[in-house]
Amino acid sequence: MGVLGWVTLLPLFGAILVMLVPREEEAIHRGLGLLTSIVTFCVSLMIVTGFDAGQAGFQMEVNQSWIAPLGIHFHLGVDGISLWLVMLTTFMVPLTLLSPQAIGIRNIRVREFTALMLILETGMVGAFLALDLFVFYVFWELMLIPMYFIIGVWGGERRLYASIKFVIYTLVGSLLMLVAILYLYAQWHAATGSYSLDYAQLSHLTLPEGPQMLCFAAFALAFAIKVPIFPLHTWLPDAHVEAPTGGSVILAAVLLKFGTYGFLRYALPMFPLAAATAAPLIAVLAVIGIVYGALMAYVQDDAKKLVAYSSVSHLGFVVLGILTLNPTGVQGAIYQMLSHGISTGGLFFAVGLLYDRRHTRRLGDFGGLWAKTPVFAALFLVIILASVGLPGLCGFVGEFLVLIGTFTANKTWAVEHMSGFFPAPKLMGAISASAVILAAMYLLTMYQKLMFGPLDKPENKAVRDIHGRETWVFAIVVAAALVMGLAPQPILSRSEKSVEAFVAGYRDRLQESKRDPDAPPHVYPALAAAAPPPAPPAVPVPTPAPVPEGIAP
Amino acid sequence: MTFDSSQLLAYAPMLILIGMGCVVLLAETFVQGKARAGLAWLGVAGCVAALVAIAVGWSDAATPTSHFGGMLTVDRMALYLDGAFVVAALLTLLFAPPYLREQGFEFGEFYALVLFATAGMVMVVHATSLVSLLIGIETMSLAAYVLTGCGRRSLRSAEGAMKYFLMGAFATGFLVYGIALVYGTTGGALDYAGIAAATGKASKVPLFYLGEYFILVALMFKVAAVPFHMWAPDAYEGAPTPVTGFMAAGVKTAAFGAIVRLLDTAFSSPLMVFDVTGWASALSVLAVLTMTLGNLAAIRQENIKRMLAYSSIAHAGYLLLGVVASGLGVADAKPAVLFYLVAYTFTTLGAFGVVAWIGNRSDERLYIDDWAGLGAARPAVALAMTLFLLSLGGVPPLGGFFAKFYLFRAAMQTPQLYKLVVIGVLNSLVSVFYYLRIIVAMYFRDAARPLSPTDGTSMRAGLLLTALVVVLLGIFPGTFVEWAGAVGLK
Repeated sequence: MGVLGWVTLLPLFGAILVMLVPREEEAIHRGLGLLTSIVTFCVSLMIVTGFDAGQAGFQMEVNQSWIAPLGIHFHLGVDGISLWLVMLTTFMVPLTLLSPQAIGIRNIRVREFTALMLILETGMVGAFLALDLFVFYVFWELMLIPMYFIIGVWGGERRLYASIKFVIYTLVGSLLMLVAILYLYAQWHAATGSYSLDYAQLSHLTLPEGPQMLCFAAFALAFAIKVPIFPLHTWLPDAHVEAPTGGSVILAAVLLKFGTYGFLRYALPMFPLAAATAAPLIAVLAVIGIVYGALMAYVQDDAKKLVAYSSVSHLGFVVLGILTLNPTGVQGAIYQMLSHGISTGGLFFAVGLLYDRRHTRRLGDFGGLWAKTPVFAALFLVIILASVGLPGLCGFVGEFLVLIGTFTANKTWAVEHMSGFFPAPKLMGAISASAVILAAMYLLTMYQKLMFGPLDKPENKAVRDIHGRETWVFAIVVAAALVMGLAPQPILSRSEKSVEAFVAGYRDRLQESKRDPDAPPHVYPALAAAAPPPAPPAVPVPTPAPVPEGIAP
Repeated sequence: MTFDSSQLLAYAPMLILIGMGCVVLLAETFVQGKARAGLAWLGVAGCVAALVAIAVGWSDAATPTSHFGGMLTVDRMALYLDGAFVVAALLTLLFAPPYLREQGFEFGEFYALVLFATAGMVMVVHATSLVSLLIGIETMSLAAYVLTGCGRRSLRSAEGAMKYFLMGAFATGFLVYGIALVYGTTGGALDYAGIAAATGKASKVPLFYLGEYFILVALMFKVAAVPFHMWAPDAYEGAPTPVTGFMAAGVKTAAFGAIVRLLDTAFSSPLMVFDVTGWASALSVLAVLTMTLGNLAAIRQENIKRMLAYSSIAHAGYLLLGVVASGLGVADAKPAVLFYLVAYTFTTLGAFGVVAWIGNRSDERLYIDDWAGLGAARPAVALAMTLFLLSLGGVPPLGGFFAKFYLFRAAMQTPQLYKLVVIGVLNSLVSVFYYLRIIVAMYFRDAARPLSPTDGTSMRAGLLLTALVVVLLGIFPGTFVEWAGAVGLK
């Protein structure tokens, strides 16, 4: 089954095991769940060690026939883009299962929670690794149901509303994406005579402009909801606030990345012309999201909601970085995804811990906690600073690269005579850069209100510092933030080739699409294996001049 | 017309079902009290035997053979659907005994009627003549009317049976009138091939179209397509729950089998399919109406049986979309419809099985609020119900998802149906909303009062079987697709 197959399916087997243990044995459920996720993480380390950084394409592929009559294969593979996102997933899940606060204060049904977390991990890893659109869709939807239950069963007071909203928002996008996938499937059949949903093949299908726009709209909507891009973000604060700590952590650290990953993997490469048309709009929305999320975060009184809005702001950077379509910006976007996973995951752990101690999230209810919880205060501060983007910590690298990429966006595009793709890069870069200051404002204010000031509330005097497993969780998060901040090169060097290939491939396919926007669906660049139709002529055939009316042919 | 043993052997499944039904009727006079449950096991044995007969006949059915002067045919499509009917009957016979005992009307006739109805369904999908179609439909329906009303002391059961019977009789009237018109305008053709051959001449007479549409209306009634669906919620609600599952799965599947065959042979000429008068446009309108109204009405239901009834109406809409795709020349649409029917049969029977399981004589627990806390009280049953509901809603990796995927995939092969696919997909979003209402009650709310379900070993076995198949149909649908696909690629 290959390493990738094991990393994908191990958590699922673990979930089945956990469900088989009798309900009363909560310690066994926790232990078994943690063990499974740690083993999965260790196996996933084999992906990193076996990964060849000099190669741009997919590696360690698993390709088995699944539903033969429809040409559907269980096809997994990893490249420099998905590599670190998979690692992020397998890194965050054991942390979540380790944290005593993961289930929230409704500490019930440990067995089901653990099993759902593991099923969720299978869904996430599978969706990152999938190289067949059917497989991708199945794993994509497989993430939805466990998250729905995690919010709905273990969530806060308004959990019903938040869980339904989460499902409906996500499904609207993904169902339309399914229609687009089916359309691609039919067009591939029309162009080549064979049935396939393989990513390697379908990503070579060049559609005429009209269908491209519609398919891009369907894919982009699904991903934009997931990111979320302003104004589709309204489900996020609800879901985050109501979800238990473990759910919030995974939602922020991994699930949101599927939106941006989807743009990188599917929406941009498969529909280049439509993406180029829509890019200015999405870039503007991303910048609005950056500023809007930051301002909303600044005015929140609920710590969890504050962190949730900070996600909207941070992910705006990721979208912006992807749309620069130069290697620097895209690399920065990928790095920002990882660092956001670590730092925002850490922030949700911290807020969850405070909620566990005090059963409130209002900033006004806290104050002066640093005296009672020195260890927690120190680790929390590092996480805050990582999220703010202090040099030396993980957040800085990604934001810096994204901003460089943004400022130089049109220089790289001008070379290809495609100016106008990215509107006013200097202005956009300036606005986004100023939002970094906003991040410092809202996060440091939050820290100040929570930790500093007089210790004047009696409840706060009884708060215990972190101990045992909690210390481990925070220490590991801080260590990861430090390592990523000080030594980004091992990560960047492994994604470099794939990112370059992504950018070059995108431009290549964009030119092919622009050459004749109305050309019927065709395979470009031609595939060796798939018996392509006759190669398109190198020079565009001039359209015959229209015959003037009234002249008989 | 020749009549020999080889012809009879080809219809072994039907004969076994009828024979076992008679055996059950006779045996009923000799057993009393609790021993009556044994009658159900006789029926189960009959179903297993019928399944074996289907498996034996499968390889010979690769080449369709016609029998009894063109009245009936044996081909793979018919055998595939036979399998679905027999499994539906088998599951009904597993769910029914504990339910009937609890409700106090455990009669041997019940099991016999289930077997007779199944034999009728088998005949419907084998029929290649309007006469045998009529006989099959009536055999199936008469048994179904009685089954609906067999909760004699329940007013709702009586009301449901009455409505079902009156409306059904009306539909039969349409069918017979339609047959007469077709017979007259085609110059005496009753078999599908004959009708197809006479289409060129007959289509010049408007009455021929009228006949065609009368026949279709009768069948639309049986599948509960909007606007011929009015009877369904009442009949589904009133019927004893195992019967509801049997009706929703079996009767609908049989009617769709008949529709597919009829439109694929008798009315397959382009004259009949396309244009304003063609059935393709008429059925697309019905498909949109059916799925949309079914889903919208289901949102408002508080009674789970009525909700599932409207959901089953909506599923007829998706299926009609597949039928239209088949008419527009998509080779894969027919196997997609067949696969959908099988996935739907298992899922719906499972869902109604849980509904039958949860209540007891004094407390039927038919309202969503009654399901609160089931997830904590009975995790296994709640998990099974969750699987069925998510499968009905089309969530991967369950059978219902793959069925929808396969069906929409077929429809996406023709540009005319793009819009319908989008409507269908948005409809399944709506459906997820109301299926989640039940899941919300089961898991997110605390129980209001203690549970004392009907339960029973055979019920548990049935639920386990359906849940497993629903998951398997989603994860490894390949075999079923091949069986269904072997049908479409003539």
